[in-house]
Amino acid sequence: MTVHTPIVGTSVPKRDAKEKVLGQARYIADMTRPGMLHGAILQSHVAHARILGYDVSEALKVPGVHAVLTGDDVGDFRMGAFVKDETAIAKEKILYLGEPVAAVAADDEETARYAARLIKVAVEELPGVFSPEEALAPGAPILHEKLESYFKVFPAVCGGNLLSQTEITEGDVAKAWAECDIIVEGEYETQPQYHLSMEPCGALSEIDVDGRITLWSANQSVFRVQANVCESLGLPMSRLRCLTPKVGAGFGNKMEPHIQPICVALTMKTGRPVKMILNRAEDMETVRARHPFKVKMKTGAKKDGTLVAREVEALLDGGAFGDDSPGVLGYSLLMARGPYRIPNARCFGRVAYTNKMRFGAFRGFGNPQVSLAGETQIDQIADKLGIDHFEIRLKNALKDGERWFGGQLLKSNGLIECIEKARAASESVKHLKSQAAKGKLRGRGIAVGGHISGLLATGAIVRLLEDGTAVLNTGAVDIGQGSDTVLTQLCAETLRLPLDKVALASPDTDGSPYNWGTTASRVTYTTGRAVVAASKDVERQIKDHAAAMLNTTPDQLELRDGGFVGIKGSNTQLPYLAVSARAHWGVGGPIVGTNTLVFDTPTIDPKHGAATGLPFGQIGVFSFCAMVCEVDIDETTGKVEPVRAWYAADVGKAINPRLVEVQMEGGFVQGMGFALTEELVWEGPRLVNPNLRDYKAPTMLDAPYDIHTQIVEHPEPDGPCGAKGVGEISLVPVPAAIANAIADAAGIHLTQLPFTPERVLNAMLAKKS
Amino acid sequence: MRRTKQASPLITLSINGNDHMAVVKPFTTLLQVLRDQLGLTGAKCGCNQGVCGACTVLIDGKPARACLSLAANCTGRQIVTIEGVGSVAQPSRVQQAFIDAGAVQCGFCTPGMVLSSESLLAENPKPSVAEIRTALSGNLCRCTGYKRIIEAVRLASKAEAQP
Amino acid sequence: MEPSFHQPRTLDAALKLLASHEDARPLAGGATLVAMMNAGLAEPPVLVSLRHIKELKAVKALPDGGLRLGAMILHRELASEKRLKGGFAVLREAAGQVAVPPVRNMGTLGGATAFADPAADYPPALAALGARIEAASTKGRRSIAADEFFLDWYAQALEPGEMIAAITLPAWPKNAVGVYEKLAKVTGDLAIVSIALVLAQDKGVVTHLGVAVGGCGPKPVTAPEAARAMIGKPIDDAAIARLGQALAEAADPVDDVRASADYRRLVLPRMLAKAFVRASLPAKERR
Ligand SMILES: Cc1cc2nc3c(=O)[nH]c(=O)nc-3n(C[C@H](O)[C@H](O)[C@H](O)COP(=O)(O)OP(=O)(O)OC[C@H]3O[C@@H](n4cnc5c(N)ncnc54)[C@H](O)[C@@H]3O)c2cc1C
Ligand code: FES
Ligand code: FES
Repeated sequence: MTVHTPIVGTSVPKRDAKEKVLGQARYIADMTRPGMLHGAILQSHVAHARILGYDVSEALKVPGVHAVLTGDDVGDFRMGAFVKDETAIAKEKILYLGEPVAAVAADDEETARYAARLIKVAVEELPGVFSPEEALAPGAPILHEKLESYFKVFPAVCGGNLLSQTEITEGDVAKAWAECDIIVEGEYETQPQYHLSMEPCGALSEIDVDGRITLWSANQSVFRVQANVCESLGLPMSRLRCLTPKVGAGFGNKMEPHIQPICVALTMKTGRPVKMILNRAEDMETVRARHPFKVKMKTGAKKDGTLVAREVEALLDGGAFGDDSPGVLGYSLLMARGPYRIPNARCFGRVAYTNKMRFGAFRGFGNPQVSLAGETQIDQIADKLGIDHFEIRLKNALKDGERWFGGQLLKSNGLIECIEKARAASESVKHLKSQAAKGKLRGRGIAVGGHISGLLATGAIVRLLEDGTAVLNTGAVDIGQGSDTVLTQLCAETLRLPLDKVALASPDTDGSPYNWGTTASRVTYTTGRAVVAASKDVERQIKDHAAAMLNTTPDQLELRDGGFVGIKGSNTQLPYLAVSARAHWGVGGPIVGTNTLVFDTPTIDPKHGAATGLPFGQIGVFSFCAMVCEVDIDETTGKVEPVRAWYAADVGKAINPRLVEVQMEGGFVQGMGFALTEELVWEGPRLVNPNLRDYKAPTMLDAPYDIHTQIVEHPEPDGPCGAKGVGEISLVPVPAAIANAIADAAGIHLTQLPFTPERVLNAMLAKKS
Repeated sequence: MRRTKQASPLITLSINGNDHMAVVKPFTTLLQVLRDQLGLTGAKCGCNQGVCGACTVLIDGKPARACLSLAANCTGRQIVTIEGVGSVAQPSRVQQAFIDAGAVQCGFCTPGMVLSSESLLAENPKPSVAEIRTALSGNLCRCTGYKRIIEAVRLASKAEAQP
Repeated sequence: MEPSFHQPRTLDAALKLLASHEDARPLAGGATLVAMMNAGLAEPPVLVSLRHIKELKAVKALPDGGLRLGAMILHRELASEKRLKGGFAVLREAAGQVAVPPVRNMGTLGGATAFADPAADYPPALAALGARIEAASTKGRRSIAADEFFLDWYAQALEPGEMIAAITLPAWPKNAVGVYEKLAKVTGDLAIVSIALVLAQDKGVVTHLGVAVGGCGPKPVTAPEAARAMIGKPIDDAAIARLGQALAEAADPVDDVRASADYRRLVLPRMLAKAFVRASLPAKERR
């Protein structure tokens, strides 16, 4: 008799779609405050130097300039996600070319930029290191002389220019090689990729008469912004409130700080609101990018295709600051065994400081790089043994109840179903090599992957308003992917309220519960858990009140669509309004449901695996994905053109299926850019292409239209309605699938990203001769 | 010298059917006038180099880069920004289709995408997928993978066909 | 001096303004000039917008079968210009591959030619066609052959105060075919290598040939002797390979973010061969 129309599992439009199509959504660059000044930075012209002093007199003389900021204005306070090695602005030393060394606040941006160029910085230049090999060579110039004294959030294995070193093992690799009938080995290299959020980074801060600061910025976590700014400026966190306008996407670039500490320092110095918006070149030169990896990998199998052993050695360029590097290193090694049962594995890696912009988090967090190596080796083994590419994966894929590398139990694992679905979908379109246009070679490649969603702390507060509608507050920043919509769906579903009766509070470090961030594919899974639990807390309180009002017990009650609580099996019911009125004006006080949690399942189970230098102990639950990609290769030029892609991803439960599909589609195109055209190029210390004319991401004509997606749902037992993440897994297999498709088309095995026409053609010609 | 104290000329621009006065220097771009002087922040600055399309406006009906258009050079031309398309009460068919097809993620590219689509459909009410991909190839999107945007334009073109 | 901005109505007025200051600059579509100004790479003291000068927009068929194209014709207009057929189609194909549609709505033939970017699409097309650039200044007009116009990276033969008024394409035989092959990293990017080919043949024998390569050095690459050697001879793979070889030798490419010099030399003859194949197809199959 009570009809329930589900909200979870339906593709309701994104909450902010309308304001966005109308051009009314406000991003950081669209904001102004009364009396606002504009800030600009001066970037260093050298890559490694000791700062001897500043001459700011010319800049201060410019009419309209209010303040100049240099390293002398900030104390020796350091921030960093894993190793606290970074000051708000260059202090004492310059560590990469382009690093902000001074900043100006002025009446307008043009004046600020003009004045910044008049600042003179006296330096003693030092020799630099521009690759991890150079950095780790004996006698190399050291970037962080005080590394030992820096605070580290984990027992880092570090020293000299070695930022972090990690090893994860299971079984006995050394012995296992003898059991293998076949061994493949290879060395792989991947390039730095720029996030290219369409919105460049920016911030706006203001200060009140009591010295309390409010900061808006393009970010993926108001709480990380708060922590980083306070750490780097030596402020108590209670003095800084962080808020967020709409964010023009983040792919890891806006998780840790960019310009916020400098912006706040200028506000503190001038007492005025200050806005700083990076131009595209500054965004490319000073924020962060995907780590370049060098990976040596060796995989062994039995004749029947059973995988036996894998050994991995990775070397990462970390750039000038630690940022997320130790995390990326550790995580990539944890992923390097792939979603397979390989009883003997040893994955070892190092990340080194170099005099380049920092490298950090980027969708996939090291997984796409190691997956390129791992997934191409699986194909090579299959080819040598004459086994089908799908079959070898089905044979070795981890199943429910098996364990990830290191020992974590997998409670939901739809990998096999993903492989089967991607296979069936791709096979429904005949793979005809002859279908390629004249002068083109056609090929298909498969790749699979697993990726976590999880990490760290989160919370939710659900308040029942006087009229029985609700407001949800999580502190999670929606960066465009639609978490505001998904979290509202979860709350509305649990409380049986229509979507428009659930408001969502914008993230605010003053009022929102802690949320580590919109990163690690985690919001739906972790914050969703908190939202469901907080909503259930409200449900419990509603039922307690209603039981008293209806003379029954809470267990006799159920929530009903539209915001009613009624006695099971009877027509008797109360609107939430009545319950909330009682709570507000009569008994007990207003209804507030809360929940906070921290992800606490250990990653390493000492009964199975061992790890040293791993910077996180509890990482997350696993999502899975399989994809098939079809490419054409132009025989004249070697240019690779993706034609189609078939995806299947296990996301536990799709709260909003369309938002899941868009993650796959967007992940494909970003992964395709990584595989084929995108590369930040350094010549020695200099980044030579910090602009979109010379850094090339796919346009609508380059990306295939035919991206076929399928959702697989193996519910995660403690996920919200069974859900887990999809944000990163969609990108993880793309470079590997394209590599395998190229191998299928042309019989060449490429090991260095990106697969430029040049590399492809050279390999095709080398194979011919 | 670029920085000048001298009074800058006042020009009149026709934007969304209305005349707007703006104070410009020779180097002031249309994008700066829209965003900084007229409060029309729907056009975004993604690169200031003509590559990304976030600043797209229609000039005399055709999509153009506001970041590469000098404001002083736009007098006498009809400029349409996203604020001139649809309304809260009645979004345009293209805007509604972007909502319905799920073509919006972070939204930073969206105003430019919508305007390029409006112009395409005005010229070619029934575009093929290939024509859509060509017409919108000057607008970068980093979130959607483009597919939903193509779907949105197709949806709008179908809606367009019905009276 | 304060920068100034002008919108003259006539070419003469524009030329006077251009003569008024040695660093005066014409503003055409602004697609390159304003981008440079935004990046702080150009600060012209006198900017002369050409947009109101009607005669610069004209396309005129010449009595001898040639075509005169005004400097302010947009890329978009050229890409759909019906009179660009036969051999001239090389310019139409090139225009259709300049950048992306919104930029094609702004940028002009004159602006792109004056900018003389060797990886841009017009320089090789104009060189292959044997186009002449009509330069105008207060001192008068002169006509410069394309192969004398493009001098070096972003450098051309215009004198201070001089601007492009029009570009003339000499007549090609009616049966000539023009094709433009462009390899770029992504749609709308500058060329890694591009081939502009204009070919007329009589029963498999070359009667007229124009060929130039973009993206492979400081200016469009040509190999006049090797091209001349093909005239009167049948088109065969060996002859095309010889021409490709000669062009690769004449090329002076550099390593840059788009590709290496070696790759450009490698792919040039391969793309040339493809251009010949396409130029020999019946019109309908050419695209
Ligand atoms: C995103 C983007 C992508 C691009 N991709 C390509 C591409 O793939 N291929 C390609 O070929 N080009 C490309 N371009 C360049 C484009 O073709 C420009 O339109 C062109 O280079 C400049 O033309 P314009 O009319 O805009 O000239 P402007 O920018 O106005 O002027 C360019 C220069 O020429 C001078 N000038 C202009 N008109 C004249 C004249 N009549 N006589 C003398 N000097 C003059 C100006 O003073 C200035 O120095 C691209 C540009 C952008 C922004
Ligand atoms: S801001 Fe104009 S094209 Fe990028
Ligand atoms: S929706 Fe984010 S760039 Fe297109």
